[in-house]
Amino acid sequence: MSADCTLGELMIASIANTIEDGILAFHGFGSPLVQLALHVAKRTHAQRLILVAGATYGINPAPPFLTPTSNDWVMDRGAACSLDIEELFDLAAAGRMGRMFLSGLQIDQWGNCNVTRMGRDALTLKLPGGGGGCNLSCDAEHVTLWTTAHRAPPDEKGRRRFRLVEECDFITSLGHRARGRPRRELGHHGGGPQWLVTDLGIFDFDDKGRARLRTVHPDVTVEEVRASTQFELTVVDTVETTRPPDPEVVSLIRHLDPMRVYQHEIRPDDRSRRFALA
Amino acid sequence: MRKTFATASGARPIYPDLDKTESLEVLAGLVPDGAVVAVGGGLSSREPMALLRSLLRRGVKGLTVVGSAHGIDIDLLCGGGAVSRSGESYVGFEQDFGMAPNFRRACEAGEVAVEDSCCYTLVQQLRAAIFGLPFMPIRSVRGTDFESLHPEFESISCPYTGDRLLLVPALVPDVALIHVQYADRQGNLRVEGPPVADVLFAKASRVVLATAERMVSTEELLALGGVTIPYFYVTAVAEVPMGAHPTACYPFYAYDRFHTARYYEAAKAGPDAFRSEYLQPFVYDCPTHPDYLQQIGGEALRARLASWTKDTGHWMSLYREEVPA
Repeated sequence: MSADCTLGELMIASIANTIEDGILAFHGFGSPLVQLALHVAKRTHAQRLILVAGATYGINPAPPFLTPTSNDWVMDRGAACSLDIEELFDLAAAGRMGRMFLSGLQIDQWGNCNVTRMGRDALTLKLPGGGGGCNLSCDAEHVTLWTTAHRAPPDEKGRRRFRLVEECDFITSLGHRARGRPRRELGHHGGGPQWLVTDLGIFDFDDKGRARLRTVHPDVTVEEVRASTQFELTVVDTVETTRPPDPEVVSLIRHLDPMRVYQHEIRPDDRSRRFALA
Repeated sequence: MRKTFATASGARPIYPDLDKTESLEVLAGLVPDGAVVAVGGGLSSREPMALLRSLLRRGVKGLTVVGSAHGIDIDLLCGGGAVSRSGESYVGFEQDFGMAPNFRRACEAGEVAVEDSCCYTLVQQLRAAIFGLPFMPIRSVRGTDFESLHPEFESISCPYTGDRLLLVPALVPDVALIHVQYADRQGNLRVEGPPVADVLFAKASRVVLATAERMVSTEELLALGGVTIPYFYVTAVAEVPMGAHPTACYPFYAYDRFHTARYYEAAKAGPDAFRSEYLQPFVYDCPTHPDYLQQIGGEALRARLASWTKDTGHWMSLYREEVPA
């Protein structure tokens, strides 16, 4: 067994830790990290998890390996059955989806995400769009957010392009407060973002609904997180170091993803980061 | 009346004919300029790519595209200058290659009006059309910026519970373009694996154009497991083997990742490069689908993409980085 793990493996294990046993959770498409986190949870602490695969809507599949695209027969092999698109979203609308996973090119302090467009007035960059993320951000009971691009190093002129921003140019998926309006006034079923796992650390959300730094990864300081965050950083009383995964979990991830597809999602500079296991 | 993509007005036709087989080119001719088009399949699977290439060859313009999660299909239409408005929920190449280069450029240049949707909003709008109702309610979306992007959505208070709800208008696409594994001559369609939104598209659209890997008898269709989309929704059907390439159409063939990488490189390099490196060799210089099949590598390529059935090792090798000799 390996003595250390990669950033991706640390993030997969951290996302898996946010998944409760006995719920129905859906991993969406386009994220190997989240796909792997659900398979890890299902095979460790959450064996009663109802795992719905993104794109194929297969229930509890056992893919022989991970593919770089989500709507592939590889990804629903071993599934007991498959939902159709309307059934999956109906389950969420009826309040029966326990957890969903969302990300964005911008994530603000309230947990709103933007995957639609950059530029508030003029369109400066068209992003791919959010799939069903907008609907599920309102309907799923809880949301785990993640990003692999929190670190915002300064360019040659000292400017930083933040992923964690003061306010999203476009709110694709809903956090705890949108354009000054608190989520609770909207009467949605879902409680909104509960965790935010990044390449630098892990946030929860305080009782006002603001992201709050809870742990930093072993090679990161709170000051580095602050410098890479556009909104004013709040932290818990004692920021701890993110707990590295158990060796069994790292072995499981390597077994589930023999081609290391998840590394596509990690920035090239971060692919060589290593963390000692417990 | 508020502006909507396409609202139900008048009953949609049903198609009783017993033989609806046509050529691919005839199907492409049934898509008028300016149509609201629902492209079936999803992401890297079962996209009606041969039909889309045929549409580009006939020079279709001004399409509005609506859908859930899409990739190379919508990007190709944008790269060929066929789209003027997008109500898609996602257009991209996931973590595999990233953002959709032609789609992005067309949106950023203002050639394509950005009217993004989201999956359940789309589902409910299609359901309204299927149910013959002018709208359906949803609870979600309120509070996000989709409300201001779609002023036609109406916020109401439920007369029974007082809950705040959003009404989304019926969406009746002019044309649905669908690629399936099996069809019979009447147009009964059988989809294997995830249907994505194809069944909803077929039931909500005025015209349904289907291509099929294999045309079989109705008896064979039943023996394969039955009909996914009944024939009377379907306007015309053509047999087009490898018609979803380079997306997957299991069990016949897997996703052609190498061809997609080549597409992506050309698209990323800019509109001129895309035209000369991709559209010219793979769309315009292939007047028929058999010409395209030769251009992409003929029987050797088909056999390689069908080799996923041998074992996990063969299947996995189709996703590796190296292009095979």
